[in-house]
Amino acid sequence: MNNILFLILRRMRLPIIAVIVSYTIAVAGMSLMPGVDPDGQPWRLSIFEAFYVISYTATTIGFGEVPFPYSTAQRMWMSFSIYLTVIPWFYAIGKIITLFQDPGLRQAFTTSRFAREVNHLMEPFYIVCGYGETGSLLVRALDKNEVRVVVIELEQERINELELEDYQFDIPNLCADAKLPETLLRAGLKNPMCQGVAALTNDDHANLAIAVAVKLISPELRVLGRAETEQTASNMASFGTDHIINPYTIFGDHLAMEVHAIGTYLLHEWLTGVPGESLKSPICPPIGKWIVCGYGRFGRSVVQNLELEHISTTIIEADPERTGCKECIVGNGTEKETLQQAGVHDAVGIVAGTNDDINNLSIVMTAREMNPDLFVVLRKNKRFNAALFEHFKADITMEPSDIIAHECLANMISPLLAQFLSLVRLQTNVWANSLIQRLVETVGENVPETWAISITQENTPALFHMLAHEPVTLADILRNPNHREASLAIVPLMILRNHQPLLLPEADIALERGDRILFCGHDNAKSTTTYALSDFKTMRYMLHDQQLADSWLWRQIKRRKSANNVRT
Amino acid sequence: MNLEKVIFGFFILLALTLNFGFFIGDIDNPHHHHAYELYVAIVVNLIATVLKFGDRTHIGAIHLATSLVADLQLIAAAILWAAAGANGDDPSVIVSVVSLSGGALLANITSVVLLIAETIQIKR
Repeated sequence: MNNILFLILRRMRLPIIAVIVSYTIAVAGMSLMPGVDPDGQPWRLSIFEAFYVISYTATTIGFGEVPFPYSTAQRMWMSFSIYLTVIPWFYAIGKIITLFQDPGLRQAFTTSRFAREVNHLMEPFYIVCGYGETGSLLVRALDKNEVRVVVIELEQERINELELEDYQFDIPNLCADAKLPETLLRAGLKNPMCQGVAALTNDDHANLAIAVAVKLISPELRVLGRAETEQTASNMASFGTDHIINPYTIFGDHLAMEVHAIGTYLLHEWLTGVPGESLKSPICPPIGKWIVCGYGRFGRSVVQNLELEHISTTIIEADPERTGCKECIVGNGTEKETLQQAGVHDAVGIVAGTNDDINNLSIVMTAREMNPDLFVVLRKNKRFNAALFEHFKADITMEPSDIIAHECLANMISPLLAQFLSLVRLQTNVWANSLIQRLVETVGENVPETWAISITQENTPALFHMLAHEPVTLADILRNPNHREASLAIVPLMILRNHQPLLLPEADIALERGDRILFCGHDNAKSTTTYALSDFKTMRYMLHDQQLADSWLWRQIKRRKSANNVRT
Repeated sequence: MNLEKVIFGFFILLALTLNFGFFIGDIDNPHHHHAYELYVAIVVNLIATVLKFGDRTHIGAIHLATSLVADLQLIAAAILWAAAGANGDDPSVIVSVVSLSGGALLANITSVVLLIAETIQIKR
């Protein structure tokens, strides 16, 4: 802010001096011009009167000739003064206006405002670089989950979009290049409240640059990097990027999950969704022969994962040499002949995975015409084609932005959630289905909130204190603080005790200090428990059905009463 | 030689000398203190202030502060004089005006001392 003030002062030097000099000449001249008062006596304006006259003339207000009508000499000087003072005056005003429209100065203003907003953030926050399709999705979900975010975006247009969006928190945003370390520093990289950085721009190199900068400047921060090529991914891994998100690999992985454990997949989608959104019911991909069109990054990941599930695939690829595809049918997949050759009539599914949206749509339209029962997996590349994809109604549409946002959420909401999800992968489909059943019964069919608490002095003082005197079970802390017989609509997902995770803990498990618990439930329940666990009175009511008196006096009276009761 | 420095030094010194010129003389004698001299002193002080704008160094900040003090005192003197109107020549009025300009003189001296100190620091 100081710098801006100095900049304005420095640029205003010349216009101000011009105004001062013109005034000086005009005022001095005016006070020297001989005049005649109504009595015919020679009379001159005093310096102050001259200053008064010139001031209202220069600013074009013009009160006329005061105190007496002027002599010819005074009028001549007045005419001269008008031109002399009005011009520098307008020059100065024009200069001020230009100064405020100066892009450099405006940038300085927005940057300093942004830095101030970031400094005033008193809660843990994440820096999101890139507010594209992925970024906006992630920011919306984090905002719903009450995680604070700071956004850096290169294009002003998207920043405007962000400002129009209705978020519950104020989101500091800056239109700047996140590749520059200076920008990251302004966004609060060294702020003790900063939890991590998500590099989600659509440029792999920029993401790499961001990851490097963060790891060099603040190595303890978590970095989530989007990497669409193997090269970038391995490069990011080499210096310890915490989570490397490759949408193609993840999609292949999810597809495999859908094929062999739809419940696990659903659970995954549910816990990483935007809270409050309803979840579409997934369709289980059929097992049989699949056709994969396009053997690029996406196709390869799909084929690998399908083969792991023992599903045989036929590949159609236009350029087998470049993509390194060994057994494949050469062609685009858009023509009937190629599809015929690949055996579309006895196939159960088709994956249109080229990097051209129109080709992908053409492939699946032709294929469905030939075999209407085909299960269709469609890759979407450009977001402006969204309308076309909506009309086609594929069984699964692969949207990189969606996948990246979900993956980021899993890691950003709570580290416990990421751990939980990785453990879920090791469980059976039956286990996952029963958990989903339980979640639907408790929290309904919308995406629930997921949050973690830790039993420490800072986070849950009341519970922490209680645990020193008496055992508290998990069921106790899930009682409804308004009506202790009822329990809140919360499903405890996991307890982490001494680094040992315990999945779906029983209600009668005794809690210990230092436990970290992952919950899933409605957002009302979230705020209720967070409050209850730090409030002694509420805790006491939940555990013992005792209403604690507020004041010392009432407490003394109560104590005496209970003593009396014992005596009688 | 730097033209900017010449102009800068010129205005700061001129502000001091004009201020001194107005201040010198019997404190209650209106004939020793001319209104135009005060007028010019104010103008030159204002210009000196503007010239000091935008210097981010510490010494630059003190420079600006001394100038602002001088402006304040001289303008206060001018307002007082103008407000007195026809009584401008009364010893009680002229004493206040001159003593205010005396305060401004001190500020201007500080300003010149700073200028000299700054000049001596330069080793070339």
